Amino acid sequence: MKRLVLVRREQSLRGGQPLSFLIGLVVALLAGILLLVASGHNPLEIYERLFNSSVGSSNAWAKTLNRAVPLGLAGLAVAVAGSMGLWNIGAEGQILAGAMMAAWIAQIGEGWASPLLIPLMLIASILGGALLASGPGIARAQIGVNEIITTLMLNEVALRLLQWLIHGPWKDPESRGFPLAPLLADEARLPKLFGRAHWGVIIAFLVIAFFGFIVSRTAWGYELKVAGSSGATARYAGISLNKKIITVMVLSGGIAGLAGGIELSGTSDRIVEGVSGGYGFAGIIVAALALMRPSGVAAVALIFGAVQVGGLSIQTLGVSSSVSTILQALILFGAIGAGVFNRYSLKSVKREKKGGST
Amino acid sequence: MNEASMIGMLSTTISFGALLYLACIGELISEKAGVLNLGVEGMMALGAVTGFLVALNTENPWLALLVAMIVTAAFASIHGIFTVVLGAEQVVSGLSLTFLGLGLSAFFGKSAVGNPPGAILSNVDWGPLSDIPWVGPILFQQSPMVYFAFLVGLLTSFLLTRTSIGLALRGAGESASTVDTAGHSVVKIRLAAVATGGALAGASGAYLTLSITTSWQDGAAAGRGWIAVALVIFGAWKPGRAAIGALLFGGLLALKTRLQTFGVDFSPILLSMIPYLLTIGVLIIISIRARHRPSASPAEIGKVYRREER
Repeated sequence: MKRLVLVRREQSLRGGQPLSFLIGLVVALLAGILLLVASGHNPLEIYERLFNSSVGSSNAWAKTLNRAVPLGLAGLAVAVAGSMGLWNIGAEGQILAGAMMAAWIAQIGEGWASPLLIPLMLIASILGGALLASGPGIARAQIGVNEIITTLMLNEVALRLLQWLIHGPWKDPESRGFPLAPLLADEARLPKLFGRAHWGVIIAFLVIAFFGFIVSRTAWGYELKVAGSSGATARYAGISLNKKIITVMVLSGGIAGLAGGIELSGTSDRIVEGVSGGYGFAGIIVAALALMRPSGVAAVALIFGAVQVGGLSIQTLGVSSSVSTILQALILFGAIGAGVFNRYSLKSVKREKKGGST
Repeated sequence: MNEASMIGMLSTTISFGALLYLACIGELISEKAGVLNLGVEGMMALGAVTGFLVALNTENPWLALLVAMIVTAAFASIHGIFTVVLGAEQVVSGLSLTFLGLGLSAFFGKSAVGNPPGAILSNVDWGPLSDIPWVGPILFQQSPMVYFAFLVGLLTSFLLTRTSIGLALRGAGESASTVDTAGHSVVKIRLAAVATGGALAGASGAYLTLSITTSWQDGAAAGRGWIAVALVIFGAWKPGRAAIGALLFGGLLALKTRLQTFGVDFSPILLSMIPYLLTIGVLIIISIRARHRPSASPAEIGKVYRREER
């Protein structure tokens, strides 16, 4: 009897990851067809709408780009931590922290001119995210507390803080009982680039490019990778592991916080419960698909942005917008499945005789 | 605060506690075997919608519960196959499972929003026991799922500490190569643990729609899956301690909607932060203690086991 086993390749396939991602996308779209047909929809009509509304016009591109901004920054935040082998699952909460800090500055700076107010808001948002991530960073570095759980828990804490603000102290008196903060003043809103696309697109692109350079082209970035792959090697090379862990977590949180500031000032225009829009969690999938590389993060974020924008638009055809959530998860599972073959090849071997364990 | 509202509060503490406990025990079994599954929130949502839909169509709550458990066990196995067999990152795969579960439950549940339940799991009647003042309404007028939950916890505790299956399961999470050498299949043990975890998360979800809310709406899991993940840590991976944590967190959930009735001037939203902050606190204590003695957390959690690479 023969059976199939996975055997590790000596070298990963070149260009394997973009290909896996593509396979994941195709698998997801095919599975989506099954789902739509099974629920009595016309998949062609729906995919056409999905495509047109996300990349079919300049207006559509503007929406997709705006969505790609928080996705890309959240993905970058996860990737920066991930390049050192750390998991920042807290981007969702850090986005909220960033948005809250930016909104606070917008309140203090009422009446200030945009060129002063907006940069201050964005800096505050970076500080907010960094502050929230610094706790898990310090706890990990000093006591070895698992950062996956602490960052995950702080998401919920940040969300409750935001809910408390919009149900209480920050509640808009004109909101007719809805839990909303007041709209931002015009001076606090990011200027538009074209159509509805705002300047956050440029900021996000620059930040991603900057970190892409730092991580892949500088000694500091190299040290990160060394520290990530082997703590012992890092110590031998004189790299201070504890300092690096804290720095990386603070940077990661700051990037996610910036996503929150931009999202507030560019898109949502007020603090609402959904201001983080699940971007923090989606960012983890984005970073994983990009194999923690900043350059890949930008590309994946753009595609996820398109899928999300498309997902919202198909609601008018009577389809639940949850299709987009399903597609995003399926892209990841499809890509992981395909990605296995970058690292492993299938070999058929003779089954061991009874007595050998499987 | 009168007697009736106090009894209501304690009775809800137990029912919410059991809800959290079921999902927590599932996650605990999975983590003990070495697989962190952050898909609990999605599995709960899928179990909730499956249970509700099956009850709607068959009017049989027990069949609904059974189908919900089977569906979520199969669903959790996606995570099992991707992480255990294909070696995907547990964090990423688990979170994607949450995405997929929330998406699928919203998709299939859309038609059921606002529907009255097809059937519910009605409270167990313990005869004279249910009529005892205080004790009766709190302990003996509960959904069958409450007794099921704590029974599962007791059974899990026994299995983990007193049986060879439990030993092999803990071994898969502590030192996979040892278990392998002893002739057990690490892959099979881990897959079974993840599927069991899924079934229990699904049972917890079905309990939610079949007994507690008796309706389906989007986001029904409402973050309770994350609390279940927190509970595993709060309970230091021990079913007994987790039960205490479940009642504590369940009590906080029950108190949340009653603060005003009790005349306490404190924001219920801020109150709901407490479980997460407590969990962080416990995790810090566990980590400090781990410097001097073996850690409470399974040693090989998050690690892929491959024979040729050990």
